[in-house]
Amino acid sequence: MSGDEAVSLLYVDPDEQACLETRTDLEASPLLDVDVRTCSSLSTAIETLEADAIDCVVTEYELSDATGIDLLDRLRDDRPDVPCILYTDVGPDAIHTGAARDAVVEYLPRDIPDPVRSLARLVRNVLDERSQLAYPLPETEDERLAAIQRYDVDDLEATMAVDRLTELLANHFDVAVAFVGIVDAHEERFLACKGADWDRLDREDAICSHTLLEDEHLIVEHVQSDARFADIEVLAELDIRSYAGVPLTTPDGLPIGAMCLIHDEPRSYSDDDIEDLHRFAEELMEQLELRRRLSDVERAVPKPDHEGIK
Amino acid sequence: MTAQLQDAYAFPELPLDPADAGTNLLLTGPPLVGTQRLLLSMVTGADEGEGLLFVSADEDGVSIIEDYETAGHTFDPSRMCVIDCTDHSPESTGAVRQVSGPSDLTGIGIEFSSLYESLRESGVDRARVGLYSIPTLLAFAEDFRAVYRFLHTVTGRIRTADGLGVFAIDPDAIDDEAFATVAQAFDARVIVREGDDGPEFRVRGLPDQPDGWHPVP
Repeated sequence: MSGDEAVSLLYVDPDEQACLETRTDLEASPLLDVDVRTCSSLSTAIETLEADAIDCVVTEYELSDATGIDLLDRLRDDRPDVPCILYTDVGPDAIHTGAARDAVVEYLPRDIPDPVRSLARLVRNVLDERSQLAYPLPETEDERLAAIQRYDVDDLEATMAVDRLTELLANHFDVAVAFVGIVDAHEERFLACKGADWDRLDREDAICSHTLLEDEHLIVEHVQSDARFADIEVLAELDIRSYAGVPLTTPDGLPIGAMCLIHDEPRSYSDDDIEDLHRFAEELMEQLELRRRLSDVERAVPKPDHEGIK
Repeated sequence: MTAQLQDAYAFPELPLDPADAGTNLLLTGPPLVGTQRLLLSMVTGADEGEGLLFVSADEDGVSIIEDYETAGHTFDPSRMCVIDCTDHSPESTGAVRQVSGPSDLTGIGIEFSSLYESLRESGVDRARVGLYSIPTLLAFAEDFRAVYRFLHTVTGRIRTADGLGVFAIDPDAIDDEAFATVAQAFDARVIVREGDDGPEFRVRGLPDQPDGWHPVP
């Protein structure tokens, strides 16, 4: 959270009066610049989460059609990075964690003095700490995300260059899939992908989330026997059995994504192979860097229409 | 400077300098060489106004309290509590809170937050947190990511509440890669090993700590 923009918070409570009061109090809190949406049930909460970008969910335990734990369970499936706070009079002993035993949630009792003040503070902390993430963050996460904006390539020419390089990469290594992925705040976006038709992956499912923290590269010879990735079902579904990735790092050292090789069976790479993969990644970053500079220059030079005649 | 020293957590039984409030330490060592003894010592302060929350996945809550008292400490249930995550525990009492088992990370987290909030309400705004041990949570969890999410959330709460966290892990009980990832959630490490004259420990990654190995008392 950069702290510059208003936080979008979803408050779920079947009690209309509580919704109104909590919303008013949270929006008035000096600790938060927050925009509160309210709803009363699991089904309306899911609709809101599908329609809007929500930064944080606060829920009562007893909802009109389910429990807050059911909502948490859905949240972890649909929007796994969004932090959730259970805000309720119901004590820990009476809360049934049921199917969501590995979902993890913050908890704040309502029967304390000035609970909304404590809630505002907890929301602030949970957002500042990027709490409830299932993967480690690079120390430079904020700067890294800002850098992605500067390097983002969406013009056709750039996309073609990235595609060409990715195709060369796949041919060179004789692997099932080669790709270039940009790791955004909550998901990995595949800029180019040869050998498969992947679009996006939740960041908690993406091996590249870990590659960002590596100085050199991340090689996982057998994904399904690595404790970190063995339980991630989508990796097996996509036939990701082996992984080799090199971070794409800006000249000032910020990792924005990764260039990767995927194979449909376990495999290893020689030192020469890995060195080649590094060269491909450097080549790609040089391309992106040149295009960034070009667009900076284009932005800096005023259009002829606005240019005064000297 | 003075304010910082007041906020820091001292280790009266150990040759260590105080750790800043909000620090999370990963205590790494094999079982049975004093790792748990050192953990109990690290979560013991001289200040009677400090709270203690102990999350136990390997040993039931009553036994942990016995271990703590056998080591010469006083367990004061008005500001200390054990969250017992073992499968075979009786009902909750004031001093020992039960959750349904070591795989119920959501339940452990709810109990933890609730206790932290109760401490604050009763005027105890400083607390140490001990957890024994991470490999047991990993062994019972359905997914590595769930344990990471749990650790990230709990250490975040300790950091923002100016607490002190000490979490035990036996590096030989899990893969090197998994260990390295878990370590990302922590500020520094305390390493225990079997030395020539018994178990010894050292600190790595915290500024201004004495160098070298010290015997585990």
